[in-house]
Amino acid sequence: MSEATATPRGSTRIGAPAGGRSAAPRRSFLRPLILVVLLVVLLALPIYVEEFWLRTGFAVFGAIVGAIGLNLLVGTTGQLSLAHAFFLACGAVTYVFVSGDSGGIGLADLSGLGLPPLVGMIAGVLVAGLAGLLFSPIAARLRGIYLGVASLGLVFIGQHVLNSWTSVTGGFNGRSAPEFSLFGFTFGNRDPELFVVGVPFREAERLWYLGLVLAFLAYLFARNLLRSRPGRALQTLRDSEVAASVMGVNVQRYKARVFLVSSMYAGLSGVMYALSIGSIAPESFGLELSILFLAMIVLGGLGSVGGAAAGAVFVSALPLVFQRYADVVPFVGGAGEGGLAPGEAARYFFGLAIILVVMFEPAGLAGFAGRFRRKGRDPGGGRPTSSSSAATDSSTTSVPSDRPAQGSTS
Amino acid sequence: MDGMSASAAGAEIRSDIPSVDVENVSVRFGAIKALSEVSFTVEPGTIHAIIGPNGAGKSTMFNVLSGVYKAAEGQVRFGDSRLDQMRPYQIAGIGVARAFQNIALSGGQTVAENLMLGRHHLTKAGFIAAGLRLPRATREGKIHGERVAEIAEFLELGDKLHTPVGVLSYGDQKRVEVARALCTEPRLLLLDEPVAGMNAEETDRMAEAILEIRSALGISVVLVEHDMGMVMSLADRVTVLDFGRRIADGTPAEVQVHPEVIRAYLGSGDEINPAEAAEAAATGHHSSETPGTHS
Repeated sequence: MSEATATPRGSTRIGAPAGGRSAAPRRSFLRPLILVVLLVVLLALPIYVEEFWLRTGFAVFGAIVGAIGLNLLVGTTGQLSLAHAFFLACGAVTYVFVSGDSGGIGLADLSGLGLPPLVGMIAGVLVAGLAGLLFSPIAARLRGIYLGVASLGLVFIGQHVLNSWTSVTGGFNGRSAPEFSLFGFTFGNRDPELFVVGVPFREAERLWYLGLVLAFLAYLFARNLLRSRPGRALQTLRDSEVAASVMGVNVQRYKARVFLVSSMYAGLSGVMYALSIGSIAPESFGLELSILFLAMIVLGGLGSVGGAAAGAVFVSALPLVFQRYADVVPFVGGAGEGGLAPGEAARYFFGLAIILVVMFEPAGLAGFAGRFRRKGRDPGGGRPTSSSSAATDSSTTSVPSDRPAQGSTS
Repeated sequence: MDGMSASAAGAEIRSDIPSVDVENVSVRFGAIKALSEVSFTVEPGTIHAIIGPNGAGKSTMFNVLSGVYKAAEGQVRFGDSRLDQMRPYQIAGIGVARAFQNIALSGGQTVAENLMLGRHHLTKAGFIAAGLRLPRATREGKIHGERVAEIAEFLELGDKLHTPVGVLSYGDQKRVEVARALCTEPRLLLLDEPVAGMNAEETDRMAEAILEIRSALGISVVLVEHDMGMVMSLADRVTVLDFGRRIADGTPAEVQVHPEVIRAYLGSGDEINPAEAAEAAATGHHSSETPGTHS
């Protein structure tokens, strides 16, 4: 028996990797192509579209970063957090404080370090991460909805600090955010003047590219993470904590780490939010913002990086688009007119969309995309469904004869 | 990796595999004593079965061995390590692997991804290395991916590596459970009812696989099982639990004729011819639907 078993095991050494390789190309061709096309379109867009879309775009890129971060925590690991707005506030306030100048504008006596904006951005990410690290012992010990309730407290603490620590946050009225610049190149309207194929590249165009780069890096990092060792540990932890720990995953440490990573994503998102609005105010970082981020990842698809990005586009762009096209969209009126306010209309819309998603496609927009892909592939290659059924067929019929054959070859 | 080199040597006992010594272990849930003063020893390289009627404490024993439950009293030693004082992930780190009875796989992930989790304690890539796709993380993933494919092949899962676990048949999922445990390169393998709910053919294949694992890798296997036929043909030694107590411990032949065991499985040994009862216990007709007092 032992000799007989030793031979097939020897032969699988050669056989196995080939089998693995044959199945792998399934996803490695079409998706990168779509990604490249999308990137080219996004890169060329500032040349063709007007400022409104570019400004909306930068806000959307910021939301994408935040949504990807929250999705790592909620979608991938199954840990509910309502504190995302708090960590965004950490990032935004730190950026404004570190890169802003001291001065007494209006009533408040503001202090600021006046350091380069890049330093401010990095500090924003780090401070949000530090806040996440301080909270992570709690995050490591609580599960799911309980963490959600505990994290709620952070939002209220954040509101209090934002309102009362006037010298840093600007208090109730908030404070303006310094323009971003990178090694002397400002992301403002001039200094230096810039033209690309005859189109003036001003603040909106420049920020668009900044947002695109940051969102793309955030996307890549999260995707790589999910496809490798830590990502697998997090996903198993969501499905069964006991199984994960018995397989060697230090559950508490991973819960703490993912909370840290998620808060750093939120910090970057907060910096981008401050840049996008041009100022920060306490009311922007309330519970509602946390809920909006949850709406993004539920709509986009829990656990999917691309889904989170899609959900962020939908949720953050819709109110702005409604506002812009208030006269065209039915039932929506502009300020002071009849009908719904754009923000309200957008909220009704999200509510409806969330109900539809939960009822019909719990995997969200990512699930829709997946369905579409499968449909597109079926008539041609007929890959996933038929190949898996063929695989089960072969396992039931050919297995008894499989072993002797393998043994005899070696 | 080192597991493979041992396979060439066949069924020889590996020197790096210590015995498991369970000494007077008790577990309480409030007022209920799930285990009271249970002792047994798993000799290196043997297949050791733990059997008993429903509620006898078999799964509790497994949870103690893998660190999920803490023993209120007693010790569990695995070589120099005290399993009763370690956390589950630390126990996994010293080469104790467990396959779950009720499948605890991630259904949305592929077979390969589920198996790669078994390599967790053998690999190092952290959040930063993985997120930035540093060369060492990629290299590590590739090397361990090859070994995972090898183990999948061994359990006849080679053609399903890239299939989501959720769409596999029940028998296949059970095999993925065992494969995932094997992927940790264990020195001690805990199998919690590996053939529960399987049909006869699948059961035979699993039994064959377990024998192959033992003979090829030379590791110890602890088995909780209801299928008496399988236990009697596979196990080198059997520990019988009833109401959280050990009522018998010995070779399958010894345990089969033990009066306490017969009583536990058939309700009462007095009016029944012991030979008949022993045979009934051996064939497993009464094992899954234990009659009488315990169900």
